[in-house]
Amino acid sequence: MIAQTPHTYLKTRATVMSKRLFSAARLEQMLQSSLESLGSEFELQAIIEHSVSPAALNRAAERELIHTLMMELEVLLRPLEGNTRSILIHWTRKFELYNLKALIRGKLQKLPFEQIKPYLYDLPPLISLPHDRLLRTESILELLRSLEQGPFADIALQARRVYEEKNEPFSLDAAIDRSYYIGMLRRIRRLESSDHAPLQRLVATLIDQQNLIWLLRYRFSYLLSPTETYYLLIPFGRRLHRERLMKLVNLDRFEQVIEALPKGLSELMEGVQDLLGAERQLEAETAAEARNCLRFSQSAVTRSLAYLVLREMDLKKLYALVQGKVLNLSEPLIRTAAGIERFDRDQTQDARGEYV
Amino acid sequence: MFSPRPMKHVMLQVLTEDLPQVALILAELELFSPDHRPLYEAHFPLVPGERFRELYTQASSRLHKISRHIPLAPLAHLGGLHVISERELEETNRWLGEIWERCSAYEESLRRLGDERQMIAQLEQALQNFGELNIDLGLLQGERLFLDIHVGMVPRANVTQLKEAVTLANYLLFDYMEHEENVHVIVVGPKGEREKELRSVLDTAGFRALPIPPELQHEPERVRTELERRKLEVERQLQHENADIHACADRFRERLEQSRNTLIMAEPFVRIDTAARSAGHLSIISGWIPARDIPRIRQALETSLTHPFRLDARSPSAEERPLVPSYMPDNRLMTPFATLVKQYGIPRYGEVDPTAIFAVTFILMFGMMFGDVGHGVTIALVAWLARSRLKSFTLFTLSIGISAALFGLLYGSVFGYENLIDAAWIAPLSDPIYMLMVALKWGIAFLVLISFISIYNRIVQGDLTRALFDSNGVISTLLYLSLLYVLYHYFTNGKFDVAAAGIGLLSLLTLLGYKAMTSRASPGERMLVAFIETFETLTGYISNTLSFLRVAAFSLNHVALAIAVFALADMMESVQAHILMVVCGNLFILVLEGAIVTIQALRLEYYEGFSRFYSGDGLEFRPLRLNSGGKGKA
Repeated sequence: MIAQTPHTYLKTRATVMSKRLFSAARLEQMLQSSLESLGSEFELQAIIEHSVSPAALNRAAERELIHTLMMELEVLLRPLEGNTRSILIHWTRKFELYNLKALIRGKLQKLPFEQIKPYLYDLPPLISLPHDRLLRTESILELLRSLEQGPFADIALQARRVYEEKNEPFSLDAAIDRSYYIGMLRRIRRLESSDHAPLQRLVATLIDQQNLIWLLRYRFSYLLSPTETYYLLIPFGRRLHRERLMKLVNLDRFEQVIEALPKGLSELMEGVQDLLGAERQLEAETAAEARNCLRFSQSAVTRSLAYLVLREMDLKKLYALVQGKVLNLSEPLIRTAAGIERFDRDQTQDARGEYV
Repeated sequence: MFSPRPMKHVMLQVLTEDLPQVALILAELELFSPDHRPLYEAHFPLVPGERFRELYTQASSRLHKISRHIPLAPLAHLGGLHVISERELEETNRWLGEIWERCSAYEESLRRLGDERQMIAQLEQALQNFGELNIDLGLLQGERLFLDIHVGMVPRANVTQLKEAVTLANYLLFDYMEHEENVHVIVVGPKGEREKELRSVLDTAGFRALPIPPELQHEPERVRTELERRKLEVERQLQHENADIHACADRFRERLEQSRNTLIMAEPFVRIDTAARSAGHLSIISGWIPARDIPRIRQALETSLTHPFRLDARSPSAEERPLVPSYMPDNRLMTPFATLVKQYGIPRYGEVDPTAIFAVTFILMFGMMFGDVGHGVTIALVAWLARSRLKSFTLFTLSIGISAALFGLLYGSVFGYENLIDAAWIAPLSDPIYMLMVALKWGIAFLVLISFISIYNRIVQGDLTRALFDSNGVISTLLYLSLLYVLYHYFTNGKFDVAAAGIGLLSLLTLLGYKAMTSRASPGERMLVAFIETFETLTGYISNTLSFLRVAAFSLNHVALAIAVFALADMMESVQAHILMVVCGNLFILVLEGAIVTIQALRLEYYEGFSRFYSGDGLEFRPLRLNSGGKGKA
């Protein structure tokens, strides 16, 4: 367990940082703001300088928002050490895995160096892949051989098998994601009991969200078999545990899956008819759980992780807003893309309309 | 000698087609440090050579990867220096691409053969396991009418999930053995529609089938022989692959070394990068050149370029000074001292280069703390004998050895014996107070010198206010000196010198006022900060001065340690044991005390000296050069 002083400090830090999370009113105000004012408020240099094409601008804005999140992560990491520290670092590895997926996909499609590079995030050195070296590899096999020499050796081996035997990028992605969540759970198991239970609960909620989306996508979009779908899921969710998942993958229609969800989830998903709607509802559910952890959890590392989860959601919304404005989309469309309507309805607010 | 060389900012206007040649000339001279700021972007919007840089980077990467398999001879001499055209670079890159393709295929083959070798090992384990079972293996082989059976192995991490997943297709998975990171499994289920579904999930889970030879049950020896044959075949293929790559190496090494030379010659233009900009046929290159070398560069360009060029040089502006690289040419005598100074940092442009001061004061302090003729000569002798290993540090070790020997003559000490020669000056233990006074005076002289350097550095940087009022400025030095004078006067005459005390008080109040004016806080906090900082400046001077007492303390310590060694030696009953104790004791003093004294002298230099005047955050002059190993870009 981390010592008491850094523990208290971290709780305070996470609480102070939670003031940065967007309230519904704040999101509404952002929706009405111009692209330039959003750019200067969030220091999105690419927007401020007006110097790039819309596509490049979108990518630059995304990279800058991820950079913001990474800076905040570094602040939260300072008082942590050992296993608790490795949990937060591992959570951010998801961005590195986005990079890994972009690299592998790029190499599979034989894209040149310059076309892959803009899609990679700038990440802090402690989680960053040696991009330049990997980008300079000249084939997918060379890339995988390079990855086999580093911390992603297990993912590289899995990716190689999937590549050699099936060559289907989505199952490769699934293998990478699965490996990521299992790595997260493995780290949680090493924690002391005071941090273990709350963290497990939060991560299991994240896994539930991920599992249900994957299940619906694999079964009804990619038309995978129940066996393969189940194999690609992670049977360590909070409400969607092993037996439930086995039952769900065997169902043949979207509506049947929604109806067969456990109580609480089925109510939440009532009326949902497509994957996008399901994603929205599940994200709201995860956000509610994370907010709960951020306010009430006794574990400082759980609060920190909850903050990072919520902050990432917020930055995604901000990115959707920026993207919508760059592309000159209509307000209702941006609202839908950023999920602002639903956020407005569900958000817990204090008297000033601020997020607490 | 005492500060980095004066530099000029130059703008070189040339024809765009001459850029690679100019880069090569500048790299050959090693006197030009590119300035990558977009100073002339408005008039010269383009950065030339983008394709050239991309080709170079890819070719370098390829050569680096190839050299893992085909080691190249160390670069001896770069002959046939010439400008590398984009076409030549393209051709080199294309050829390196072909060679890398071979090497990559070789890597992949090695990997495949490694997998194959592992597979055979797994199979051997599995067959040994089956051999001990009393079952009819015929049941596991071939096509069955009603049963779909798969025998193979799965990565350990995937077994549990796979076991559950296959039940959804009405299959059962049995794991019967673990070997390394794999689990050996048998998957059994009914034949029918779901076979395809099963195969798909097995593929995703990394299942690898183990072919069970039908002869295992009745002819195990034949199976073992077959496996042995396969193992030998893998080894043969490995040898074949290795021979192939060796043949490839012998065939292409020479051309690879030529390609390396090509890349070395192409590198300067790549490293210039955004320091070169162009507009049509006209290009500029901007950077920093030591002022005295401008005529040399001009002459080299005039000799080599057929087209006209223009070289404009100007002194750096006040705002630019932090960006000017500090050029301190290599001086063979000073190299080891410069290395130690660089451990602290690089002097800013215009600041005093502390290397010479460091060299003199370090050698003196080491000698004073470790004064002994025998020990000094031993250090010098060891330095001379180990010169091939010590390389540039030979001179450093020789200097401190000679200094220790000279101070040994002054102290009259030889291997700790105080009575073999007469002290030319004083035996430290005969008057410790005198030694401490000498150290104190040395410390005061050192700190005053350092304060003067600090004042000079700030004046050079154009920061007159800080030169006058900040810590280690004129006022604080005045405060320090007046305080010293008041104390000295009091102890020698028994009364205060009012004038000196008045100057000290005035200096103190001025310092306090300056700190109060420059701190940014509320009035109360401002006074508190000013008071604490002024107090810190004052106590800093006092504690730093007292720090130098260690110079005398270690000279006393050296004698005391020798006395301890002799006391132990005298307790020995035999002459041999006495001699052995004296020798071992001296070795102990040499190694342990020698190391401590070195560290203490360094500490005094870094913390009492450098920290007062030397910011150490200057930029090192890294000129464009051939074969920079990627260090050319500032």
